[in-house]
Amino acid sequence: MEGSNILIVDNCKTYIENAVKAFSETGIQSTLYFAENHIEAWSLLQGDQKLSPLPKIMLIDINAVGINGIDLISKIRLDSELKSILIFVISNINNNENKLAALNLNVAGYMHKPFGNEEIITLFSTLNNYWNNIEFSSKSK
Amino acid sequence: MIHKLVNILLVEDDEVDVMNLKRAFKKNNIQNELFVAGNGVDALDMLRTAIVASPRIIILDLNMPKMNGIEFLEILRKDEKLKSISVFVMTTSNEDSDKIDAYNLNVAGYILKPLSFEKFITSVATLDNFWSLCEM
Repeated sequence: MEGSNILIVDNCKTYIENAVKAFSETGIQSTLYFAENHIEAWSLLQGDQKLSPLPKIMLIDINAVGINGIDLISKIRLDSELKSILIFVISNINNNENKLAALNLNVAGYMHKPFGNEEIITLFSTLNNYWNNIEFSSKSK
Repeated sequence: MIHKLVNILLVEDDEVDVMNLKRAFKKNNIQNELFVAGNGVDALDMLRTAIVASPRIIILDLNMPKMNGIEFLEILRKDEKLKSISVFVMTTSNEDSDKIDAYNLNVAGYILKPLSFEKFITSVATLDNFWSLCEM
């Protein structure tokens, strides 16, 4: 995972601060980028501020106010350059319609968003372990 | 351990690898029901006839007779009733083209088959820990 980018789409400041700390404590070596909403996220994926390299992983709270997560994921899945991004939904808001839509868009995981420090570290430690044990492609077709 | 109700379909033609996975599941105390299909054709049949009922996830080998893993994935993703199933590739193929094809068909992970049984146990433990976080 070293040298790769991870894009987090979330606008909860407390959660983001804790996530940054947890990334550091678990030794995740990717570069983190943040977007507060789907518009900012798209700008980092295909707009003026397009990331290079593109992220291989995205973490999105699809239920956060101001984030039209399902629309964003749908656009990603239709884009030949972006469609293979591994997307993880991390949310603590129950929205079954969104959950079903996200699963139908083949998110890699749909997870509950923790707020306690210990739980956040556990989450990212588990994710980091998972990401370090899977293969990623070096380029896209 | 993932939610007990989730069924796991292993699509794998190599009997040794099937045995390794079953043993690794046992070592990790994974008690979810494990179904096995030897190729993509049989796997689709088991899914469509609900032999493997929802909720379910798939562990998928790529190099198989009759229908390989990528061909199976293409059909799975076009099937309205099956397209949302999470798929984890477990294969000996380290070819970039296979990884690209698999991720373009939105697998949730691509794992190289471990060479030793000890590493199989660890690999399954990693999967199990990840699955325990996921809602299905």
